[in-house]
Amino acid sequence: MLCVIGGTCSGRRALVAERFPLARWHRLAAGEGAAASRDGHQGKEALVVDGIADWLAAALAETPDDEVLRETWLELLDGLAAAPGEAVLILDEMGRGIVPLDPAARRLRDHNGWLAQAAVARSQAVWYLRHGLCKRLK
Amino acid sequence: MIAFVSGGARSGKSRYAEALLCRWQSERGGRRWYLATARASDAEMAARIARHRRERGAGWHTLEAPLALDAALAEVGDGDSVLLDCLTLWASQWRYGGGGSDAAGEALLAECLAAARAREIALVVVSNDLNEELPPEDAETRRFVAFLQRLHRRLAREADRVVEVVAGLPIDWKPSDDRDPETTP
Repeated sequence: MLCVIGGTCSGRRALVAERFPLARWHRLAAGEGAAASRDGHQGKEALVVDGIADWLAAALAETPDDEVLRETWLELLDGLAAAPGEAVLILDEMGRGIVPLDPAARRLRDHNGWLAQAAVARSQAVWYLRHGLCKRLK
Repeated sequence: MIAFVSGGARSGKSRYAEALLCRWQSERGGRRWYLATARASDAEMAARIARHRRERGAGWHTLEAPLALDAALAEVGDGDSVLLDCLTLWASQWRYGGGGSDAAGEALLAECLAAARAREIALVVVSNDLNEELPPEDAETRRFVAFLQRLHRRLAREADRVVEVVAGLPIDWKPSDDRDPETTP
């Protein structure tokens, strides 16, 4: 598994599209598991998985228990890491602002950061995008 | 030579950019210009502008360019050195203070970068990193961040040097970024 992380409009999708021109793209829908991303994917080309922050926001609303939520996203990541061929995850950096007043926003920020750390731990290579430029972090 | 210097609030980005510009100017000769995008819209802003001006010290020629970056740059001589501080403020004035469309704003920036190249002006542009926070809830702020990021990506693409400043220290992104066929995914 590979990860490409960056902030809003940092150029992640353009980089991935450039490097994996034949990849199949899958935008995670609310409530989907890894199996849905892999559905029909033969593993010949890379599988790009996008929309994780929106998926997480929907899961947050459905799952009040943090431990259950954590199990849900760990299961997704393990499933994607086990996908045939290369999975490329597009991750969001959103942890650098002021701590939000809204508890739900804090919870999204927290889980998004933990999810990114867990995804990176399962990846062979990680790139960080900033204003269209990239640094390899792993 | 074009450099793009950015960072968070009070990261030392202006000070770093000023030092870089002074170094370039001392190597190249010519005059040193400060292209101010800030308008003294209230007392706090006026004090902020006065503080920046004091900290820069002598030897700077100042031009005000809340919107018309191209007209300000036209005042500068070929081969001179220019510090533009800051692009984030310019972007908000462009969008909400009578500039024009996002596409026209991006085109104006591109025109200025091309003019700087053609006229051998050393240009250092300072801006704020605003895109690594929780995505804004209101659509208008999201559109502003998207516009600012279009400007930032263009600058990063065209600049010779791109520097992130953290607590006054530089992290080099260009020319030392990792967009290399061997190392990028």
